[in-house]
Amino acid sequence: MRRGGAWVLLLGLLGVACLVSLAVGPGGLPSRDVLQFRLLRLALGILAGGALSLVGASLQGLLRNPLVDPFTLGVSSGAAFGASVVIALGAATSVVLPVAGFLGALVTILAVYTLARVKGRVTVTGLVLAGVIMSFLFSSLVMLVMVLARQPLGRAVYLLMGYLGVAFTRGSVLLFAGSSIVTLAGCGVLMAYARDLDIMSSSEATAQSLGVDTGRVTKVVFVVSSVIVGLVVSFTGAISFVGLVVPHLVRLTFGPAHRRILPGSFLLGAALLLLADTAARNLVPGGLPLSVVTALIGVPFFVYLLRRKL
Amino acid sequence: MNHRDTKRKGSGENREVGINRQERQETPGESKRSSNHGPAIRFAGVSFGYTEQRLFNEFSLDIAQGEFLGVIGPNGAGKSTLLNLAAGLLRPQSGSVSVLGMDLAGTSRREVARKVAVVPQESFFAFDYPVEDVVMMGRNPYLGRLQTPGRADYDRVNEALEFVDAAVLRHKSINRISAGEKQRVVLARALAQEPTILLLDEATSHLDLAHQRSILGILERLNRQGKTIVLLAHDLNLAALACSHVLLLSGGCQVACDVPDRVITKELVKSAYGVEPIVVRHPETGRPQIMMPGGPNAQVSITNDQ
Amino acid sequence: MRSPVLLLPAVLSFLAGGCGRSAKPPEPGLRVVSLVPSVTEIVYAVGAEASLVGNTTYCDYPEPARHVYKVGDFMNPDIEKIAALRPDIVFLSLPVHRLIAEKLAEMNVRYYVSQPTTIEGVFSELDSVGCLLGAGDRADSLVRDMRAKLDNLPGYPDTPSVYAEISVVPLMAAGAGSFVSSLIARAGGRNVYTDPAQEYPMVDPEHVVRAAPEVILILHPEADAKEVSERLGWAQIPAVRDSRVYDHLDLNVLSRPGPRVVKAVYMLGDMFHSKPAAGD
Repeated sequence: MRRGGAWVLLLGLLGVACLVSLAVGPGGLPSRDVLQFRLLRLALGILAGGALSLVGASLQGLLRNPLVDPFTLGVSSGAAFGASVVIALGAATSVVLPVAGFLGALVTILAVYTLARVKGRVTVTGLVLAGVIMSFLFSSLVMLVMVLARQPLGRAVYLLMGYLGVAFTRGSVLLFAGSSIVTLAGCGVLMAYARDLDIMSSSEATAQSLGVDTGRVTKVVFVVSSVIVGLVVSFTGAISFVGLVVPHLVRLTFGPAHRRILPGSFLLGAALLLLADTAARNLVPGGLPLSVVTALIGVPFFVYLLRRKL
Repeated sequence: MNHRDTKRKGSGENREVGINRQERQETPGESKRSSNHGPAIRFAGVSFGYTEQRLFNEFSLDIAQGEFLGVIGPNGAGKSTLLNLAAGLLRPQSGSVSVLGMDLAGTSRREVARKVAVVPQESFFAFDYPVEDVVMMGRNPYLGRLQTPGRADYDRVNEALEFVDAAVLRHKSINRISAGEKQRVVLARALAQEPTILLLDEATSHLDLAHQRSILGILERLNRQGKTIVLLAHDLNLAALACSHVLLLSGGCQVACDVPDRVITKELVKSAYGVEPIVVRHPETGRPQIMMPGGPNAQVSITNDQ
Repeated sequence: MRSPVLLLPAVLSFLAGGCGRSAKPPEPGLRVVSLVPSVTEIVYAVGAEASLVGNTTYCDYPEPARHVYKVGDFMNPDIEKIAALRPDIVFLSLPVHRLIAEKLAEMNVRYYVSQPTTIEGVFSELDSVGCLLGAGDRADSLVRDMRAKLDNLPGYPDTPSVYAEISVVPLMAAGAGSFVSSLIARAGGRNVYTDPAQEYPMVDPEHVVRAAPEVILILHPEADAKEVSERLGWAQIPAVRDSRVYDHLDLNVLSRPGPRVVKAVYMLGDMFHSKPAAGD
């Protein structure tokens, strides 16, 4: 496998995606004023696409399940719930909204963690069950809040389906910058656990016998992943599919070792999301929800992958 | 004769495996072992149960260093539980388990993993790692979080692969090789941990004859190098053939722990398994081997698992 | 033919010159349920409130409408409560009340679908509803009155471009296909989103800046004028430069296709042209 060549390809793809995202849009090439919008969008896209894919890869390793995505553990629904509450209260300013989203995410993390704890231990099965339950709960609550607040339900759809067109203010840009730093730091932490994730992909008992403190790894990976998802989702809503499909694509090219999959997923996820966003903005007047485009791209890939495996 | 007399009850008294110490072979590697001449594994008054009903009650046992111990017993006797307790994968509800003098309760997983390696019966790999990567996972106890494997680690991995005769498989995917090859790879991973003690959970049960013989041979060689080996065996004959001592477990109790000749007897096997076997001598090694009684009317008393 | 929709006959009778020709008095004992806030307003406006036996929690204007029996909220009215009132006609809206409509059809209860999308549509609806309630005369004169007021709109010298925002997260605008857009047009404004197929498109902040609207209407409670003006890169928008960003608007008046549309148009006209109000 030409591993070195594949990395160059990935970086090149990301570079192209960046250029496309900056250059393509209504009105052709951007003037200097408009450039700041495109750059913010670019930053948001790279962070969201990269972090969500990296988290997806980590969780697939931790939960030993290739069908897991960053939202399996319920965090994004919690963030959407937090956001919907402040929208309903009419208090959703550009700074309050992401903060509320993140608080919603934190509440979910706490709830899932507590539910999953049995005799002081957090197991992978427990996390999945608790996460799925919380996901259902909070998604329903989002709908409920939207109905009570007399919002058109279409808006809940957007909250739950992701968007990159955020209208930033000074305050929210600073918030975003801070969140980005934390997110990138979190991605670094996850990459440091790459070997543990490799080993834990066999079974809990095997990992322990190989010297892995599985309880600690589970907690750290869960908490860091959820915090990252909470931060990203509070700005962009829940962009689906990148976190699920990208790790598989990377696995196909680079093999299953997490020390390659984690950074590889970041790069490919960022590139794909930028391309999907450019398409979503420009293909249809009025814009498409981002998750629709990522799904349209993701599904054929997924089918292809499935057929190769079978 | 009621062999239940050998059951350990009450606290404190420990019995070393291998009463006749002269029977134990002095192995060349012995001087390289730790100067600690205590037992390799010590169970001291261990009580453990998965439910309120305890499986092990104040169980005590010493396994000496350099032993090749076969653990046999009917289903539900607690063999796997014993192994998991010895590896620190389960914690006793009372009493303690120590390995080479270290109480497992107070030792980190990394420390334990440098001394004790486990080979499970079957291994599941969610992703298709190459064999080389799998064996390298055995070096985990020696690698810091941010550290990448170095020259020494690669050397250990190569040595382990050579030892189990799986070097040709190194680039293959772990999920694409046969069960026997996979088991050898898992064994290599355990060896890469440079353990002093090797615990195997019925490592050969579902393998074909050739692989069973080959793995047994590897274990015998390892034992001669001074490693302590505990092998859980469903197959009494395997244990009798290769092991220096055999522990017969039934209902969480030590029915007998001695050289194979004294454990693989008609009476003991019948009392534990409910079937009286025919005991013969292996023509090459002289070890006891059992054969099932013939005919559909053979007497069987099925004891419920305690 | 199971569908007892009354829209068609009502329109026909309107086209035939309004059903007020024969000066039909309101049918005594007519029982009406309104699931649509704008139609509730019409019921009061034509003086037929005596027949209103039920409405929704959203129906809050005029004041007496708040005290009418509630059958639920606008999104999810309770079909059982509606049925228990034994209504002769139910006013509803599609697609939100599709299931209710089907159930009513099964129970053979007549219903009327309210779907005005333009000011003319509101006038038609006033007439149709008035006819159904036996208040055709009142409806007629109300419509004439409203038309007159609209004709009295001053001739505005200019047509400022307008960006009407309906949500921040995600950023969405009222497109040319929305009702409020027709009000904007009537009030002498020009929506920067001109595609009539788009009702509420998601928009790019960059695009709003490019479109350089002269007036910004904030049709939601999530951000005020100050916050919108502080958005990165929006300082260069003419509306922001000239402080023509309007917030805290009465959203019910602006979004309901009912009797207050004239008030809405005058409101907008003021904002667009800064002239004193002359209507309602």
